[in-house]
Amino acid sequence: MNGEIFNANPTVYASKRSTRKSKFEAGQSLWIDEQYQPELSSESEVEPIDEDEIFDLIRSIADPEHPNSLEELRVVSAEQIEMGDNHIMVEFTPTVPHCGMSTLIGLSIRVRLMRSLPQRFKVDIRVKPGSHQSELAVNKQLNDKERVAAALENSALVETLEKCLEPIGGPHSR
Amino acid sequence: MATAERLVRSWMASEKDSEVDESVAGISSGQFTLLDIIKALGEFLTSEEDRLRMKGVEFLSSVLGRCPHERLNRQAIRVLSTFYCSKLEDLETIIPALNGLSYLVKFPNIQSAEVKDILNAIFANVKMRALVQSTRFFVFSIVDSLITSHRDTLKEMGSTFLAGYLNLAVGEKDPRNLMLAFAIARVVLVEFDTLAHIEDFFDITFCYFPITFRPPPDDPYGISADNLKQSLRLCLSATPAFGLLGIPVFLEKLTAGSPSTKRDTLHAMDICLPVYGSAVSREFGKKIWSSLKLEIFQPTDPDTEHSALNTLQALVRTMHADQSQDAVHEDSITGLARDMCNECMQALKEPEKAQARAAIKVICAFARANGPLSRFAVSQAAELLIRNFHDPDEVSNRASVVMLLTELIEACRGDATHAPISQSSHSSLSPLTASKDALLGLLIVSLKTPATCLPALHGLTALVRTPTLVADDELGYIVLEVSELLRKEPDEVEDVTTDTLALLSAIAGIAPHHLSSQMLPILFSFLPDVTPSRDATAQRAFYWRALSSLSALCVQPQLFETLVVRLIAKLDLLCAISPTRTFDQESTTAYAHAILTALTNTLDVKVSSKDVDVPKYAELLLPHMFRLYLDAALASSEVMAVAADPRLLQVGAKIIRLVNQTLNVARQEKLVAAVFAAYTQGDVKLITGGLLNSSTPFAPLYLNASPRQRNTFILFSSTIVSLRKEVRMPVDNLSTFLSELVAWSDNPSSTVFQREAASHILASNVNKHVDDVSDFLSSQLEDYSSSALKNTSMPAEARKNAISTWTSVTRALLVRSHPSANAFIDHLFELLDDNTVDWDAARAIGLLASEDAILTKRNDAVLKILHVQKYFNTVMSRLLEGAKGTKGSRRETAYLVALAYLINAVPKAVYVTQMPSLMPILLRGLDLVDPSIRSHIINTLSNNIDITSTDKDAVSMYASTLVLAMLKNCTYSEMPDPGVRAAALKYLALLPGTVRYDLLHPYKTRVLKELAKILDDPKRAVRKEAVIARTNWYKYSG
Repeated sequence: MNGEIFNANPTVYASKRSTRKSKFEAGQSLWIDEQYQPELSSESEVEPIDEDEIFDLIRSIADPEHPNSLEELRVVSAEQIEMGDNHIMVEFTPTVPHCGMSTLIGLSIRVRLMRSLPQRFKVDIRVKPGSHQSELAVNKQLNDKERVAAALENSALVETLEKCLEPIGGPHSR
Repeated sequence: MATAERLVRSWMASEKDSEVDESVAGISSGQFTLLDIIKALGEFLTSEEDRLRMKGVEFLSSVLGRCPHERLNRQAIRVLSTFYCSKLEDLETIIPALNGLSYLVKFPNIQSAEVKDILNAIFANVKMRALVQSTRFFVFSIVDSLITSHRDTLKEMGSTFLAGYLNLAVGEKDPRNLMLAFAIARVVLVEFDTLAHIEDFFDITFCYFPITFRPPPDDPYGISADNLKQSLRLCLSATPAFGLLGIPVFLEKLTAGSPSTKRDTLHAMDICLPVYGSAVSREFGKKIWSSLKLEIFQPTDPDTEHSALNTLQALVRTMHADQSQDAVHEDSITGLARDMCNECMQALKEPEKAQARAAIKVICAFARANGPLSRFAVSQAAELLIRNFHDPDEVSNRASVVMLLTELIEACRGDATHAPISQSSHSSLSPLTASKDALLGLLIVSLKTPATCLPALHGLTALVRTPTLVADDELGYIVLEVSELLRKEPDEVEDVTTDTLALLSAIAGIAPHHLSSQMLPILFSFLPDVTPSRDATAQRAFYWRALSSLSALCVQPQLFETLVVRLIAKLDLLCAISPTRTFDQESTTAYAHAILTALTNTLDVKVSSKDVDVPKYAELLLPHMFRLYLDAALASSEVMAVAADPRLLQVGAKIIRLVNQTLNVARQEKLVAAVFAAYTQGDVKLITGGLLNSSTPFAPLYLNASPRQRNTFILFSSTIVSLRKEVRMPVDNLSTFLSELVAWSDNPSSTVFQREAASHILASNVNKHVDDVSDFLSSQLEDYSSSALKNTSMPAEARKNAISTWTSVTRALLVRSHPSANAFIDHLFELLDDNTVDWDAARAIGLLASEDAILTKRNDAVLKILHVQKYFNTVMSRLLEGAKGTKGSRRETAYLVALAYLINAVPKAVYVTQMPSLMPILLRGLDLVDPSIRSHIINTLSNNIDITSTDKDAVSMYASTLVLAMLKNCTYSEMPDPGVRAAALKYLALLPGTVRYDLLHPYKTRVLKELAKILDDPKRAVRKEAVIARTNWYKYSG
C-alpha cells in the first residue's frame, strides 16, 4: 500500500438481513412448529445454488480501505449478480471512479468465489459500466486466468487479500 | 531476668523462631519486660563484631514485631526509638533497625517528638539506592504508618518532611513498594501543602505514567497492572496543581502511544480533568480537542474511540463546571465549545458520509455531558438535520438523517434517565422539547417510504422511550400511523415487523389503551373465523403474522386479558364438534395449534418475568382449556373433533403447566383435587368450571377407554408435574397409584404419546415424594426388573417400553442423588449383554445424564448440584472397561453407543480430563453405522478441539486418522445424513487452527480437492460449512 486513501469519507449503508423463509412461510407446511412439519424427504431434497447464496459469499468481504464490508459500502449488491446455467456474472461498483483499490476488490471477490464454488461454474467479474475511469483495464485483469494466477503468485498481495477475506459469511453465518 | 538472658543466648546460638515466641510469651505474661531483653542483649548490641551487633538488633526487632502493643509504655518507646535511630547510623544494623522501626511506629503510645526524631534520622541516614527492595519496603511502611496515625505531626514538619520523603521516593521501581509510595503520595498531595515541591511530586508520579508493568507469570506478589494503574491514577488526580504540568504529558502520550497507552491516558484524563479544573481545561482545551478529534473521526478501534468520547464528555463538563446549572445561557458557552460544535455541524451537512456518524457521536457526548453546551449542541444539530431532511435535493439521504437523529434522541434520553430526581422538573425541558413536533412529523413521514421506514421506527422507539417527552394523544397518533405497517402485505415490509412490534410494545408499557382501541381490533380482524383452505398459503402466513404480533404485544396485563378472551372465543369456533366431515381437519387443527402456540408464547414470557397477573388465569383460562379438550375426548369416534388431536393436546398441556407453576400451594391443591375428581371419578364438573355437560362417562384410566379419552392423559400429567413438593397427591397410597400407572402405560394398547405422559407423572412423583414411594421402588427392583425388563419371553417392543419407564424412575432418583439410583443403574448395565435390547439400554445409560424437561427448577423438582458429575464418574470407568472388550463384538458396540450418548449429554468440563483415553474409543465409534452416533461423536470432538489445544497432543496424535475419517463422513455418496456431513465439515474447519502445519501438510492438497467436490453438495447448510472449511485449509500453511 502506498498509504494514499482514495476515498476518505465513503457513504455507509445499512446491511440487510438474510431473506430466507421458513417452510411455513414458504407455504410448504401447514404447521408453524418445526417438529410437526412433514419431513419433506429431507435427505433427498436438493437446494440449488442461487443468487442469494453467491451474495452471502461475497457480502462480508472487508473493504481494503475501511472497516466496513463490501455490502455496507454498496460495492456489491444482490441485484448485481446474475446466474445462468453454470455461469455467474458478478458486477461491482467502486465507491469513487478513481479508486485504485478496484482491482484488489475484484480480485478478492474472484478468490472468494474460486474457493467457494464448484468448478463447474464459470465466473465473470466486472465493474459496473461507467463507474470507473479505467473500467476496461480492471475487467481485463479480473477475467484473464493467467493474470489472476500471476497476481496470486505475489505473496504480499495474497496477504492483503487474506485480510479482506477474513470474515467468512460475516455475522449472518452463525 | 535470668530467663531473658537464657533466651537471648540460646537465640544467638541457634536463631530458632521458638526463642522469639517464648520471649514474646514472657513479655505478655509479665514474666519480664522488653527492657530486660535489651539489658540481656546489652553486650551484643554494643559488640565490636559486626555480625553479633546485627543479630542483636535483629532479635530485638523480631520480638518487638510480635510484642503486644499495651506492654510498652511511653518511656520504653522513647528509649527504643532513640536506640533504633542511633542504629541507623551503623551500616551493619540499618536493616534490622528499619525493620524494628516499622513495628515501633505502629505502637499507639508513640509521641510526636519521637516521630520527628525517627523521620529525621531516616532522612539523614537512609540511602535508598543502596538498599534492597525488602529494606526499602520497611522505609515505605514506616512513612505509611506514620501518615495514617500521625498526619498532623508530619504536617508540622512541613518542608522537612516533604523534601525528605521526596528524596526517599525518587527512583523507586519495585511494584510492591510503588503500591505504598502511590498511596502515600495521594494522601500527601491531597492533604499537605505541597505547592513549593509540586514539581518534585510531579516527577515522582508522572514518571510512572503510563504503567507498562506486566506481572511475572506465576505472580508471587498478587499485584496486577490494574492495581498499579488505579493507585497511580489516584495520585495523578490528587491535586489541581498538577494540571499545567500533567496535561502536556497526557497529550504527548496520546499522539505517540499504542492503542492500550491511548486508552490508559484517556481514562486517566477522565479522572484528572475534573480535578484540574475549568481554567486548565480551557487553557488546553483546543489541544485536547484536536487530539481527541483524531481518535473519534479517524478511529483505530472502537474501544479507543469510545474512551475518547468519554474524555471529551469529561472535558466539556469541566470547562463549564463553574457555571451554575440554572443560569444556562448560550452566551456562557466558550469559543472552543462553539468551534467544536461548528466542526461537527460541518460534517453533519453530509449525513450519508462516515464522518457524519463520528460527528453525531461527538454531539451525543455533549448531550450526555448535561451542561449548557448540551442544549446548545443538541438544538443546533437537530435543527440542521431537520432542515436537511426537508431539502428536496437531499431526499436520497433521508435514511441517514433519520439514523443520525435517532442517535441524538437516544443520547438525550440517557441524559434524562440519569438526571437526579431533584432535576425532574428539568427533564420536562429535555433539549429536544423545542424540536419535538418537527421530529415527530419527520419520523411519521419517513414511515411511508420503504427506505426510511426502518430507521424511522427506531427513531420513534427512542422518542417514545424518552420519559415525559411525547404526550398521550401523540402516542395514539403514532399507533395509528404504525398500524398501517402491519396492515400491509407481508412481503413489502418483511424487514420491519420485529421493529414495529418493538415500538408498539414500548407504547404498550406506557399507554396500553391506545393499543387496545386501535391496534388489537385490526389484528383480531386478521384472524379468519373459518380456516383458510389448504392452498391459501398467503392467508395462512397472514394469520400467523397477526398471531405473532398479538403474542408479542399482549404481555401487558390488560392487553393479555383481552387476548385470552378473544383467542378462547376463536378456538371455540374452530374446535366445535362437527358430526360431518365438512372441513379440512388437518388445516383447521394447524390453525388452532397456531392460536394456542401464540397464547403459550405470551404466557411463557409472562411466567419468566414473574408477572403477578398469571395466577388468576387458573380460573379464567384453565376451565376453558379443559372443557375444550374433554368435550372433544368424550365425542364419539365417528364425529370430527379438532381438539382431540394430540398435537393440540401438547400445547394445551404446556399452557396448563405454565399457569400451574405460578400458583401457590393452596390453589395448586384445589386444582389437583379437581383434576383427580375428573380423571379418577369421572366428575368433570369442577375442572371445567361447570361448563361441560355430557352423558358419556369420562374414564381415561380404564384400559378400554377410547383412545381420545386416553390421549387427554397428558393434561392430567401436566397438572401433576408442576406441583410443588408440599402439595400432597390426593390418593390413599402413592405407591399403589404409581404401580397402577406403570400397568396402564405398559398395556399394549397404549401409544407413545400416552406412555410419555405417564412417565412424566412417575418421574415427578418419585422425585418429589421419594420417601412415600419406597414400596413402589422395591417392587420395581424386585418384580418389575425380572417380569418386564429382563423377561426375554416378552416381545422386544414391550421391553423397550419397560426400559423407558425404568429410565424415568432412575432419572428421578439420580437428579436428587438418591442412593437407590445405583441399583436401578446396575440393572441397565446388565441389559448391555442382552442381544435384543442392548442398544436401547446403552442409549438410556447415556441419556440419563442429559437435561430433563420435566424435572426442572420451574417444576419445583428436587435437584442436587453436581449430580451429573457424580453419575458420570461412576458410570464412565465401567463403560471404558467394557468398551475395551473384543473388537467388533456386539458387547463392545453397546458400550461404545452408551459412551457416545453419555459424552454428548454432559457438559465438556466434566470429561475433559479423560479426553486422552477417550480419543481412541471415539475414533472407533466413528465406524458405527448409526448417523446420530456419528454426529454425536463428531460434535464431541469439535467441542473439545479448543480445550485440547493446550494439550494439543491428543488431537495431533490422531490428526491424520481424523482428517481421513472426516473426509469420508462429509461426502454425499458416503454419508446420506446432511447433519453428519455438516458436523464433519465443521470439524475439518477447526483442524487448521489446532494442529501444527507440518503434521497435516501431506493432506492439504487432498483435502482441498475433496472439499471442492463437496462445494456442490445438494444441501445449502453443508455447502456453507464446506466453504468455511476450504477457506481455512487454503490459509493453512507453515
